[in-house]
Amino acid sequence: MSKQARIRAHEVRLAQERAEQRRRNRIRVAVGAGGVVIAGLLVAIIAVVFTSASKDAGPSGKLVTPANLTASGAIPVGSATAPVTLEIYLDFMCPACGRFEQANAGELDRLIQAGTVKLELRPMTFLDKTSQGTRYSTRAANALATVADRAPGSVWALSKALYANQPQEGTPGLSDQRIVALAVEAGVTQEVADAFDAGIFKAWAAKSNDDAFKAGIEGTPTVKINGKVFAGNLYTAGPLTEAIEQAAGGAK
Amino acid sequence: MAGLLGRLHRIRHANAWLFTTMLVSSCLSLLASFVLSVEAVTLAADPNANLSCNINSVISCGTVGSAWQSHLFGFPNAFLGLIAEPVVITLAVASLAGVRFPRGFMFAAQVVYTVGLVFAYWLLYQSMFHIGALCPWCLLVTVSTTLVFSTLTHVNIRDRNLFLPPRVQAALSTMIRANLDLMVVVIWMLVLVLAIVVKYGDRLFG
Repeated sequence: MSKQARIRAHEVRLAQERAEQRRRNRIRVAVGAGGVVIAGLLVAIIAVVFTSASKDAGPSGKLVTPANLTASGAIPVGSATAPVTLEIYLDFMCPACGRFEQANAGELDRLIQAGTVKLELRPMTFLDKTSQGTRYSTRAANALATVADRAPGSVWALSKALYANQPQEGTPGLSDQRIVALAVEAGVTQEVADAFDAGIFKAWAAKSNDDAFKAGIEGTPTVKINGKVFAGNLYTAGPLTEAIEQAAGGAK
Repeated sequence: MAGLLGRLHRIRHANAWLFTTMLVSSCLSLLASFVLSVEAVTLAADPNANLSCNINSVISCGTVGSAWQSHLFGFPNAFLGLIAEPVVITLAVASLAGVRFPRGFMFAAQVVYTVGLVFAYWLLYQSMFHIGALCPWCLLVTVSTTLVFSTLTHVNIRDRNLFLPPRVQAALSTMIRANLDLMVVVIWMLVLVLAIVVKYGDRLFG
């Protein structure tokens, strides 16, 4: 091998080694960068988990039970002497409850007026998870409980107004101000409506929800006539009215 | 230590590991698709099922199940999983048994599965930002689809099945040999976890 050829071979080898070295360096840089990204992500995940775990997410404060409840802890609507009791387990976020309300509110109005039926509303909050963290179900239930406590005559009107303006599932729900405005439109005084913000009955709403679970309620709306679950069609006007009138007839 | 790393490295690139991972992931995906399909059929058969907000429902309140995104092609998306996952399972089992599929076959599998992956992530995006409900089984589909995709891609790059330009192929082969793909998958999964805890953290831990 001539000297020149040897030099060239040496140069080629050096170039190859340099290329190999560059490649290794690039991989090392990539691995390092990846490691940093992984560490960063882990830290971020842990931070988020900790902040959301320590955040006071649930309804807070001590349990304050609204006044004017029935002996079994429901919010009553209508004349206490009506022969038929209609218990309604509801969640203000539940679209099915909205359809139930739409179909039957008119008939229920009439039956309440006539003194045939009294309602016992049992608000639930399990759909809190579908309002992007704003806990709409709890906020709405708290508003209803506040009205039951301080302006019991407007409970049914507020419930109807909330359903007439029901937000879609998966949205943040109605804002606190909007709930106040609806309540005022429904005849609640501004003073009472302004108390919603304090969230006085949020803990009670959570308890109402848990009690319903314990009572074996599996979904909303669940409707009971004099304690027995009504299994008929809830989503057209008629069947429920019939069942109530039948129960009233039997009671007389 | 170096010996152990070397062994792990060999295991990670061996068919047994790759296709077992693929098999397990595709079975999980099939299971999730099955559960979601049954749920969808129940919803369709019982008019009351999607009319009430059931606490124990697999899909929260029928929200995910009844959204238009959940039956993009006019039938429940989960049916697609029932159709596609058994093919992956077959591929994984045959490969474990020693079958080597032709390049064109593996390439086609890669293309179709990539479309499936894009669809899975589109659905995840929709359910996170438009439907707003968390659906554990859908999440299992996303994760297992990602794992199947990563193993399939690993195999196809290793075996040069993708008809790539030589330079791209060489670069990807180097990446795989340096285990950078593993890093990519880990980062990917962590991003997924982060997105979920950011979006749903207060519900999961609240």
